[in-house]
Amino acid sequence: MDKIVFRKFIIDSKTFWTMFFGLGFFILVGFLCSHYMETEGHYVTGMNNQIVWGLPHIFAVLLIVIASGVLNIASISSVFDKKLYKPLAPLSALLAMAFLISGLAILVLDLGRPDRLIVAMTTYNFKSIFAWNIFLYSGFAAVLGLYIWTMLDRNVNRFSRPAGIFAFTWRIILTTGTGSIFGFLISREAYGTAILAPLFIIMSLLYGTVVYYLILRTINYFQKTLVSEEIISNLRKLTILFLFANLYFLVLYHVTNLYIAKHQAFEKFILLDGGVYTFAFWFGQVIIGLILPIYFLLSDKKKSESSMIKSTFLILIGSFIAMYVIIIAGQAYPLKIFTNYEILESSFFDNVVHSYIPSIYEFGLGLGGIALSLIIVLVGVANLDFLPTIIKGHKPEDKTDSVSQ
Amino acid sequence: MKNKPTTSRRDFIVKSLTAISAVYFIPDIITKAESAKPLAQEVTSDTKWAMSIDVDKCAKGCTACVDACVEENGLYGFDRPETDSQWIRKLTIKNIKDDKIKVVPMLCQHCENPPCCDVCPTGASFRRVDGIVMVNQHTCIGCRYCMMACPFKARSFVHENLTEQVTNAPRGKGCVESCNFCANRIDHGISTTACEEACMKEGHNAISFGDLSDTKSRVNSALKKKDNRRLRSDLSLKQRVTYSGI
Amino acid sequence: MHQLAIRLLLSILILVTPNVFSHDGINHSLIGKSKADSQEQCVEPTEIMQKEHFVFLYHQRDKTVIKGVRTKNHSFANCIDCHVSYDEKGKAIPINSEGQFCQTCHVQTAVNIDCFSCHASVPRGRKSVAKITLENEHNFHITKLTNEIINHVGDYSGEK
Repeated sequence: MDKIVFRKFIIDSKTFWTMFFGLGFFILVGFLCSHYMETEGHYVTGMNNQIVWGLPHIFAVLLIVIASGVLNIASISSVFDKKLYKPLAPLSALLAMAFLISGLAILVLDLGRPDRLIVAMTTYNFKSIFAWNIFLYSGFAAVLGLYIWTMLDRNVNRFSRPAGIFAFTWRIILTTGTGSIFGFLISREAYGTAILAPLFIIMSLLYGTVVYYLILRTINYFQKTLVSEEIISNLRKLTILFLFANLYFLVLYHVTNLYIAKHQAFEKFILLDGGVYTFAFWFGQVIIGLILPIYFLLSDKKKSESSMIKSTFLILIGSFIAMYVIIIAGQAYPLKIFTNYEILESSFFDNVVHSYIPSIYEFGLGLGGIALSLIIVLVGVANLDFLPTIIKGHKPEDKTDSVSQ
Repeated sequence: MKNKPTTSRRDFIVKSLTAISAVYFIPDIITKAESAKPLAQEVTSDTKWAMSIDVDKCAKGCTACVDACVEENGLYGFDRPETDSQWIRKLTIKNIKDDKIKVVPMLCQHCENPPCCDVCPTGASFRRVDGIVMVNQHTCIGCRYCMMACPFKARSFVHENLTEQVTNAPRGKGCVESCNFCANRIDHGISTTACEEACMKEGHNAISFGDLSDTKSRVNSALKKKDNRRLRSDLSLKQRVTYSGI
Repeated sequence: MHQLAIRLLLSILILVTPNVFSHDGINHSLIGKSKADSQEQCVEPTEIMQKEHFVFLYHQRDKTVIKGVRTKNHSFANCIDCHVSYDEKGKAIPINSEGQFCQTCHVQTAVNIDCFSCHASVPRGRKSVAKITLENEHNFHITKLTNEIINHVGDYSGEK
């Protein structure tokens, strides 16, 4: 019988260091950007008292959502006991950890007082969903560490299933928490609905799956690992499934809002006359992020790789725009302070749809965050045994049986 | 402290005399305010600070309250209206039904169920037992979640380095801030806010501040005179700032 | 964290060897004159103040912000009011500037102070007058008057 062992990422040192320093450069730039923002103050960014959360939050929330989503593969293998995915589970957990850390790093570096991180870690207001998220995120990192250990160390391998189930439960709660950060904002019309929590979960599943696919393919480009046709086609099926689920929840979210009388004005704004935000919603979130990938994946009868790769990139662009729509458009729409009055004039921009032009620094910080996640993955796979490799034999069905025995 | 050259003899005499005259004024005031809080006493929930704003009395084009707030709290900006702090601002509003135009001051509404405090991860946004909602800037990490949560846009984030803060209102880069009902004044026994004082000085008397538990307070008489309502009453936040005439 | 550990170590070092850094008998501020110069002793004995001023400040800080206690003894504003130096023109010198009261020791002990990114480093702005209620026009007039008086008194004592 064929045997599958986990190996390090074997890459020639020149390529490794090129990638390492390339990514390191972006991390350095990101750090410098955040340092500049911190010393000068946030006025150098595009954020202001109207748009209080900007590009860094788009990057951070997206990365955290992806972090929860990439664990999908490991969850399928351990929670639903699908042997086929088992060889790929450790990598999935590593990716989750990497994206989580970098998402958090962006979030922390964008704080007004990042030097007070210790305050955030020691003083909790348990009424705050944000404080719970700090718990959930740091806890998730610990759970992931545990899970990776149970998967990679043969001695504790028997605990890998309960650890996987635990990690799965944790991440569902985590994404619920992330969605609730917005869902609990009762005062803003775009938010304040519990449906944001499942919407975030379903987004995490989609984005996590395609990011996993992309990273797997990239690694595969350098080194032959165990990526059977079956897994690729399954990932493809999952992507299509999640795309439809996303579409469904997005429709549900907006239909729900249309039924809540006080949210109707916002719906009109986002769906019809919100200018750049309406455009971003329809063209970015819906067409690029959902419709085109569905079209490419379904129309390609041969199920070729190229259509999947194309869709992957479209979905990732769409994911970014989706976060833009949720985070920025939600704040851009002015607050309705008075019921029977409309605001004509204000020195504080109460009467206008806010515009947001992000600065280069915020963008630098965001890119630095992505580079950080990639460097963690790179160093992780190059130094620890994360990648499944076949010792002998070629039949995919047999290979999986021997995993973790 | 003002920048003054060394005192001349004449100045010295004048100032000494003014200082001496203080002896005649201050005891007179103190006897009138025996009920005011001693400096060492902790605030209690027996005191319920509140404000009533009569929109019909609020004058168009008048910014006395805003200016007074800026002066009291040293809120000097950098001529960058999008990032400069505003604790109180004037809005011009139009009635949807009869197109009547009114002006109204907008500030922290000091909710009894404040969303900002519910969402604050570190508990830096808090409600003092006497009803003042404020930011403990020693524990604020600058996440701006409270600004996302506030239905009235009452909060500002300090976007740049400050140097000209006044002693009574410490504030600095990276923290969120908002109206605190002039907590420093109140704690020193002055039962008026800078905005109310300015509004009275202008003779408009649109703002009435005071203690709800004190039946004779200005806010109570204002509440008795006219029907007051809360903004965004659908959210059941039970604001301590109420409006009449809208 | 790393920095914090260093600070902690340094603070311990300072606490166990107070005499090394104590500057008894030396004028508090190097440039200019302060109200504190003419005082016998601070609100607590000098040695205690040197060792524990931050304990008092932290304690008072939470009491002031959360409970509205404004006693003068351990109040930060009062520390500055008394210890800030005035140059020969009567202008207050920021207390955290080089060679001034806070900075001299804190440079020596390499303990970074974060107070003055928010707090005024010189007495600035209108002073709160104790115990005044505004009930009528008469009192209102008095508020104004008293504020002026207090400001003058402040100016006067600052120029000593």
